[in-house]
Amino acid sequence: MTHLEIENLASDYLEGFLDPASRAVVETHLAECSPCRELVGEVRHVLELCRSAEEAEPAPWLVSKILLATVGERKPTLLEQLATYFRPVLKPRVAYSIAMAVFAFSIIVNAAGLNLRNLRFEDLNPRTWIFRADRSWHLALARGEKFYYDLRLVIEIESRLRQLRGQPQDQEEAPPRPPAGGSTQGTPSGQTQLASTEGSRIEAPPLGKRAPSAVGRPTALTGAGRSLIQ
Amino acid sequence: MDQDLDLLKRCVVGENSAWEGLLRLYARKTYNLCYRFTGRPDEAEDLTQEVFMKVFQTLRTYDAGQGSFSTWLHRVARNHLVDHYRRTKRDRMTSSIEDDLVRIEEKPSPGAGPTGRVEARERKELLQQGLDKLSPDLREAVILRDLQDLDYEEIAQVLGVPQGTVKSRINRGRLELARVLKRMEVVRGPAKAGSEP
Repeated sequence: MTHLEIENLASDYLEGFLDPASRAVVETHLAECSPCRELVGEVRHVLELCRSAEEAEPAPWLVSKILLATVGERKPTLLEQLATYFRPVLKPRVAYSIAMAVFAFSIIVNAAGLNLRNLRFEDLNPRTWIFRADRSWHLALARGEKFYYDLRLVIEIESRLRQLRGQPQDQEEAPPRPPAGGSTQGTPSGQTQLASTEGSRIEAPPLGKRAPSAVGRPTALTGAGRSLIQ
Repeated sequence: MDQDLDLLKRCVVGENSAWEGLLRLYARKTYNLCYRFTGRPDEAEDLTQEVFMKVFQTLRTYDAGQGSFSTWLHRVARNHLVDHYRRTKRDRMTSSIEDDLVRIEEKPSPGAGPTGRVEARERKELLQQGLDKLSPDLREAVILRDLQDLDYEEIAQVLGVPQGTVKSRINRGRLELARVLKRMEVVRGPAKAGSEP
């Protein structure tokens, strides 16, 4: 094998493209020929240099530059456009205002008695809203008034009952009245007085018994009060 | 391959995001090809842009049956680089070898970095210098094979020559590059030794 043949086969030999027979012939020649060995070594060095070479790093703006030169400025997608459009709404101040508007609207709808699920044509008339709002207001007022008078009646009944319950006790606690113009010596009269008070005390228990139970159950009294009102 | 085809189909119907995706996939590789041909980053950037403008205009003519998109892109890039080489031949005749050497020497030395990075950069510069000395035919064959990792068949498609010619060019290119590098290292060797204290 000549030097020229080795030169022509150098790349194939180094890349492993030679068949075993040709490879053996080349290796035999290389073992004997120092210049060819040196040449193959240099080509191997070139291959190693190329394969270990770092890739050149393009400028970071290269893609943007090419995009600008080919398709022009990039148009935002529909989603990006929508995001841009609604971006101010997402600010807390605006979001709070919207929430308050929704809240106010719901109150108005509620006051106007509108059923949004079953909306009729007449519901769209502002007069209907005013009429219904007025009606709702008067109903609420009437309910409030009725409650107030109910409560007042109940309190009155309770106070009366307390008075009725308190009268016998007052009589008991009151000191015996001396007879007008008479002496205090007459014990029989004193006994009769006691007897009369006892008699009054004997009559009192039904009331005294009923009273604590009535006081202890205000709901029952309230019910009684209501029945009275009715 | 499937990803390329999908992107291409979307590009053809005018979907800009697909074109952007294609650019992100291939801009770096194309830039490297241009850089290896020219040896100048700014020129490589301009050439990459021109290549992609050409690709954008002729994207509809790409036929998937005739080879992969990567091979087609390499062919477009290679043709553009050859045109560019012919166009700028006269300009390059005026610039001397000394200019190139000055350009290499004037690059900022990455002395602050680790030794490995410095050596890698030196090797890269040396290789680029060697490639610049090769004839365009040999240079493109070596670049496509050893730096762009294309196989012989793809290179034959890109260059439009038979595989035998490709093999021959690659081998001759490597031998020539080995000689050039040997000569350069001999030249740079004493200079380096002289610069050391």
